[in-house]
Amino acid sequence: MPQIITPDTAESALLRLTEVVKVYDGGDAPFTALKGINLDIHTGEFVGIIGKSGSGKTTLINMITGIDHPTAGEIIIDGTPVHSLGENDLARWRGRTIGVVFQFFQLLPTLTVLENIVLPMDFCRMWAPRERTERAMDLLEQVELADQANKLPAALSGGQQQRAAIARALANDPPILAADEPTGNLDSKTADAVFGLFERLVEQHKTIIMVTHDNDMANRVRRALHVSDGEIVEERVLRPRHGA
Amino acid sequence: MHAVRWRKVFRDLVSHRFRTVLVVLSIATGVFAVGVVMGGREILVREFDSEYSASVPLNADYFTMPFSDPIVRRAREYPGVEAAMGRHSTSLRYRWAGSDAPRSISVVGIKDYDDITVQMLVPEDVRSWPPRRGEVVLERAALQVGKYEIGDTLEVETSEGKTESLTIIGFAHDINAVPAQFIGSETGYVSFETLPDLGEVKAYNELLVAMSGSDLTQREASLLAEDIQRDVLEANSITVLGSYVPKPGSHFLGDIFKAVSLLLLALGLLSLLLSGFLVVNTVSALMAQQIKQVGIMKAIGGRASQITWMYLGMVAIYGVLAVLVGLPASAWAGTQFIRFAAGILNFRVASYVPPDWVTALEVGVGLVVPLLAAAVPVRLGTRTSVVKAFNDTGVSSASFGHGLVDRMLGLFRGLPRPVALSLRNTFLRKGRLTLTLTTLSLASAVVMSVFSVQASIGQTIDDLDAWWRYDAQIRYERPTNRLGVERVVSSTPGVTGVESWIGANATLDRADGTTAQGFTVYGLPYGTRFVAPELLAGRWLEADDTDAVVVNTDARKAEPSLDIGQRVTLEIGGEKRIVHVVGLIKGQLSGSLIYMDRELLGGMLSEDGVTATLIQTASSDPLQQRKALDAAEARLEEANYRVVSTRTQDELREQIADQLGILVAFLVIMAVLLAAVGVIGLTGTMTINVIESTREIGVMRAIGAQHGSIYQIFITEGLAVGFMAWAIGAAAAYPMSLGLTELLSGAIGMPLSYRFSWVGVGAWFGIIALISVAASVAPAYRASQVSVRDAIAYE
Repeated sequence: MPQIITPDTAESALLRLTEVVKVYDGGDAPFTALKGINLDIHTGEFVGIIGKSGSGKTTLINMITGIDHPTAGEIIIDGTPVHSLGENDLARWRGRTIGVVFQFFQLLPTLTVLENIVLPMDFCRMWAPRERTERAMDLLEQVELADQANKLPAALSGGQQQRAAIARALANDPPILAADEPTGNLDSKTADAVFGLFERLVEQHKTIIMVTHDNDMANRVRRALHVSDGEIVEERVLRPRHGA
Repeated sequence: MHAVRWRKVFRDLVSHRFRTVLVVLSIATGVFAVGVVMGGREILVREFDSEYSASVPLNADYFTMPFSDPIVRRAREYPGVEAAMGRHSTSLRYRWAGSDAPRSISVVGIKDYDDITVQMLVPEDVRSWPPRRGEVVLERAALQVGKYEIGDTLEVETSEGKTESLTIIGFAHDINAVPAQFIGSETGYVSFETLPDLGEVKAYNELLVAMSGSDLTQREASLLAEDIQRDVLEANSITVLGSYVPKPGSHFLGDIFKAVSLLLLALGLLSLLLSGFLVVNTVSALMAQQIKQVGIMKAIGGRASQITWMYLGMVAIYGVLAVLVGLPASAWAGTQFIRFAAGILNFRVASYVPPDWVTALEVGVGLVVPLLAAAVPVRLGTRTSVVKAFNDTGVSSASFGHGLVDRMLGLFRGLPRPVALSLRNTFLRKGRLTLTLTTLSLASAVVMSVFSVQASIGQTIDDLDAWWRYDAQIRYERPTNRLGVERVVSSTPGVTGVESWIGANATLDRADGTTAQGFTVYGLPYGTRFVAPELLAGRWLEADDTDAVVVNTDARKAEPSLDIGQRVTLEIGGEKRIVHVVGLIKGQLSGSLIYMDRELLGGMLSEDGVTATLIQTASSDPLQQRKALDAAEARLEEANYRVVSTRTQDELREQIADQLGILVAFLVIMAVLLAAVGVIGLTGTMTINVIESTREIGVMRAIGAQHGSIYQIFITEGLAVGFMAWAIGAAAAYPMSLGLTELLSGAIGMPLSYRFSWVGVGAWFGIIALISVAASVAPAYRASQVSVRDAIAYE
């Protein structure tokens, strides 16, 4: 069993996974995707989860975001036992605590870019209704998409859609951003721009957890966790976290 | 901005126009079917009942020797009588420019048109009212058989053999008059002043009596009718030639009406059921299509309840749109349907507005049923975990290959790969397949059953042909010398055989002292070769019979005492006779008939002679038969024999087919509606299957599939579903059509000869193949237009 690797064990972790196991029922032969993961992540960290296809990295981030449930183990995020929450509570919690960014952007195709960003605020009843558009525009300005606010996602390039998805992830001002292969569907220049955006967010004390199999990207995070066969087999702290 | 999620709902509705139209049409079809059928039935019954009861239907009808006003006054004053009136009725032949052959008309002479108190007559389209001397107002059903116009002249042959002109001055409606298309004889109303011109006496010869009491029983009506006959007519020396006491409150088309009403009720319930299936299927498919978006919304903080309300809201909007489409469409179609029904059943419609509860039911079907149907699939969809939603490809790869059906499909080797793929795809989504198959199989079973009911009606008419061994008949105004008329008719060119019968009205004395009315007794030679009796029980008449009678099923149904082996008392022409029921034959849609030996019947009647001559002709061509009949009629007229009507059996067959055709028409409407529901269901399923297979299509295109292959895959899938529904439907059609035929037999009071229609099974096979292809073409086209890039990126 790999040891819990934390850069600063003295400080209380924002996110703590303890002995997290995930087994998929594959019919005759169940498949163990995560084999007892232990992990602490602190506020302001920019963590990369790196591994080959099928290593379990997406399963791991799905455990963190509450998108999937662990078969065993505990996941405590900002004091909330995520592993014990039901779907409904999870949705509410996730909306306020974690912004999720997907590889294929997953913007709702029938809403404009602006409306896509307002939607999480609407669901979680964050901000006064009249402030939501204003905030969404601010976020779009941050990701340099203010001029695209009223377009439908289909009218945007892949990089623009991913920046819009990041703006949506930030809509409720969550402390954590979880991104699954956010640059996997983008060209290198656009991927670089998106990565730069993440770096700026880290400077604003956001905690970012990013799954990637891109080694270049992996080298630019501050802490890299290598996952293989459902285990964290290596951790590298490349740069100290912001403010640490 | 709370409305953002609702904007998504609206945009989804608008951006997926094809899907929206499909779902709205699915629901609207249910609203439409329920509106037309239930509304149609309610309006039909309401308007018919309202007009029928307002018409003051008669409870007793006496055909008598001439009488005058004092008799009518006595009848009106008789206890238990609500209204009574006298009129003069006679049947005459006439020629009209619109018809080559002479036709028959029932002429009704009314003394005072302002004093019609029984069987109300409503002028509808008249140049003047009431008719004056030399004028006639036709009962409007005449328009169903000929293009009569105001100003046309009828050349009527009077009872004295002269020709008198009557000018049509308009049309009136009498709900109690038997429509012309059913009896081959029009009804015309004239003034009393016209009667002498027609060779008739200016006096009443028919007394119509309406009795008091809304809950009058047949027995009470019969007893009162006998009292009136004795105390009002016979006590004043008025000879009663015949009388008729119908079942109180029962219209002569009541049985057909009941059958139509039952059919409509069955159709309404089926429509409701099928539209429910359709909505469940469509909403389930919609949720399957939206599952990834549900996952996204949950991933960004949307709760299951919030997302559930969004989709229920979407379904509610579909429902509102469907009601907006379905309500006016059903109102329009309902009006056409009622007009059609009112035309053939000959009643007037004062209002086409359905009762409120029907409108409420339509709104319920449009709004509540979809929400109820959607509740489970929406709940299941929104409760799906985010990870499951993201991994959803419409079908779990693990869901196929384990079941018995899947393994059996795997045994089909050597099929072209696209065909094999289509067949296996068909069984991929088993829940949806079950719902689609249920809808389409039920529709198939009903359509094939309709074919079988139609075939059964055809068989029944064929059976009549088997019973009739003659081609035409001539009826005389009064008993006529048999040898004389047979000599004249048999010498007519084209006539190969003649036989004359005696017809008379009869009543039956029941054991409880009451009288059963409305029987016709035919006297015919026991060894007749002009009919081929198919006995259901007992035997036919024999040479040494002295008191034997054979009854038909209609008579047996009207009077249960007419059972094999029973001895009953018949009163014919004023003479009572105990007869022995020896045989039962099937009814021929000609009412309650009793057959006995001609000599026996002749001996009971005061006036010698026969009332009808049956003719066999050399030709099987109806036109030639009619020609021979006209020639025979002309010869009889020349020889001073008074003919009251002539009819070929082909014409009679057409009249019967017209009556039963009402049922067939309603059955066809039923079949078309259900087939439409099935088509929409299959189109919906195919469309959703294509959407769910988008990624698969992309993969196939990436590995070289061309448009034709994609078309082939989806059209084969549509055909597979269609043929399965056909097979299941064909198996269900036998018991269903048997039940439907029995239901109709019971309703119209006549056993229909059941025949399963293999032609229908074959025809539906072809139709369902076309439907399946048609339902799959649009989805297949959409599939063929999917680019590889879009398909692979489809999330």
